[in-house]
Amino acid sequence: MTNPGEVRSIGAGPPGRPPAGGRRWNPTLFLILPTAGLLFAFLVFPYLNMVVMSFRNPSTSQVFAPGFTVGNYLDAILDSDLYYLEILWDTMVLGAVTTAICLALGFPVAYHLARTSSRFKSVLYAFVLSPLLVGVVVRCYGWIIILGNNDGLVNTLLMDLGIVDSPMTLMYNTFGVGVGLVHIFLPFMILPLLGAIQSIDPALEEAARSLGASRFRTMLRVVLPLSLPGVQAGTVLVFVLTISSYVIPILLGGFSVMIMPTLVVQQLMDAMLWPFGAALAFILSIAGGVVVYVYFRLTSRAIRGIA
Amino acid sequence: MTELAIRGLSKRFGEVAAVDGFELRIGDHELVSLLGPSGCGKTTTLRCIAGFEEPTAGRILFDGRDVVGLPPERRNIGMVFQNYALFPHMTVRRNLAFGLEMRGVPKNETAERIARVLETVQLGDLGERYPRQLSGGQQQRIALARAMVVEPSILLLDEPLANLDAKLREEMRFFVRSLQKRVGITTVYVTHDQAEAMVISDRIVVMFDGRIHQVGAPDEIYSRPVSREVASFIGLSNFVEGRVQGRSGDNGEFRLSTAVGPLRCTYSGTLGEGRKVALIVRPEAVSLSAAAPADAADAAAPADAGGNAVPGRVSERYFLGNVTGYRIACAGGLVLQVQDDPWAAFGVGDEVRCAFDAAHTWIIPD
Repeated sequence: MTNPGEVRSIGAGPPGRPPAGGRRWNPTLFLILPTAGLLFAFLVFPYLNMVVMSFRNPSTSQVFAPGFTVGNYLDAILDSDLYYLEILWDTMVLGAVTTAICLALGFPVAYHLARTSSRFKSVLYAFVLSPLLVGVVVRCYGWIIILGNNDGLVNTLLMDLGIVDSPMTLMYNTFGVGVGLVHIFLPFMILPLLGAIQSIDPALEEAARSLGASRFRTMLRVVLPLSLPGVQAGTVLVFVLTISSYVIPILLGGFSVMIMPTLVVQQLMDAMLWPFGAALAFILSIAGGVVVYVYFRLTSRAIRGIA
Repeated sequence: MTELAIRGLSKRFGEVAAVDGFELRIGDHELVSLLGPSGCGKTTTLRCIAGFEEPTAGRILFDGRDVVGLPPERRNIGMVFQNYALFPHMTVRRNLAFGLEMRGVPKNETAERIARVLETVQLGDLGERYPRQLSGGQQQRIALARAMVVEPSILLLDEPLANLDAKLREEMRFFVRSLQKRVGITTVYVTHDQAEAMVISDRIVVMFDGRIHQVGAPDEIYSRPVSREVASFIGLSNFVEGRVQGRSGDNGEFRLSTAVGPLRCTYSGTLGEGRKVALIVRPEAVSLSAAAPADAADAAAPADAGGNAVPGRVSERYFLGNVTGYRIACAGGLVLQVQDDPWAAFGVGDEVRCAFDAAHTWIIPD
């Protein structure tokens, strides 16, 4: 009765009902074509290119040598010192710890932001988003000024006040990287949490209080379970961003904090080992994907259980 | 059980006084409604009793113990919310167990009490359902059960029936009423629905703009309102403006001079001569009869003791099923609303005589 592109003519058939003969595809699908095209051209295609690259033979004089091999993956995984797997493990731990800290810091903020009736609500929103308003590099330099190991703000202050005798190592270590990561990724935790908490009826909290639950138990038994979808989204977002972050670890950690993205870039740019670097990149992708998948499966079951 | 006393309760939000000088004692077993239009302070009052709002001034006493400053969880209240506020992530059983768990009631006793309360609200087999799998009426009853299963000292209900459809709402009024009487729990019931307040309450507190206008039994509120607001908020009222001419006898009857001539009416207080007042008479207290030609002259001096008769012309007629409503245009621009039996067949334009007894009127001094 209708052709795919045909616009349903006015008056043909009962209004509001799809024409007989089953569903035809929606013409608004055309609207996603630009995005789909961009994703394919700049994400899927390069990815596929990288997959191929990771199976190339390494070469010292060219980008790669002729022929294909799985040696790059084997070199990374079967390395006798476990050097690469250790870096992968460190990356995952850094991701998990950053995520946990973001959750712990972000949840109270999201809760208060969701529940406040302050007329400065929009200002508070702006504060939450402020880390996103300035480029990553600029913010990292800000942290360098604050955390600097010899003449940083914190160390100068503590030494002037006589609290410490010699400067503390606040950056070019995991601590400095962690501070930067938490600061910059915190909004990605708060925003999904905020959405989830805002959708919880405040009367539920009052009901819990009226039934004898303290503020804390209300939070634990009512607000937290009902905000789990937001927790899930926020944690996955921060974890994925952290394990793939390059600029922050480089600027605040130098090369003394070695994680997978740093390693990959080192292999590609410094050592010019494109096939090996590509293989490492995929090992990171797959490991991250597996962690997220398992986490999703576990948390989704929990959410189904409570929602 | 518990006696609730509220003394001089006031709650301000910035410049606005949401509740102002609220005084009330609610006895054991009593169900008292707070009735008024939205924004009259009834919900704020309830939330002060519950502990969700901190009063600006005044005391709230549960059996003589001031609870102001105590958080809600330490007041031992049961509360039912307009949207029920059932925990969506818990089954009915776990919703009901929540309050008992917070009170550290042992597991076997919890199970027993839940079974009993589910029986009471006639939903014995729905324990394993989630709230979203229940109808509005069922959710409402579970919310009631959840508030009652903890055996609170005071039950607070905030427009609990407002989200139900009309038919169910009327059924639930009787359900709530009989349940409350059976359990005998001191109850405060907030509603803006006067019919609901009438059916359900031992006493009604009528509020406007944060202040109590009247406290009384439903029939008292209806037949002897103290202010125009009360009279017009509860049921339909006719106001006839006039001045006091004096007493007629000592049975509480007064003579008024009005635009439609002298009228007799009842009042319990004292009224000075010449005082500006409004006579109120309910539409159903007026009966219509055909105006005999002679009546027109006669009407100014009604013959029977206590009787009033006002001539007029039917300007509108509408059928309501159990009654027929009329609007009668009388002298001096007065329009009387009348509800007469549905078989009375007066048409628009008919000359009629509106008769009402002085005993069925009331006076509101200006």
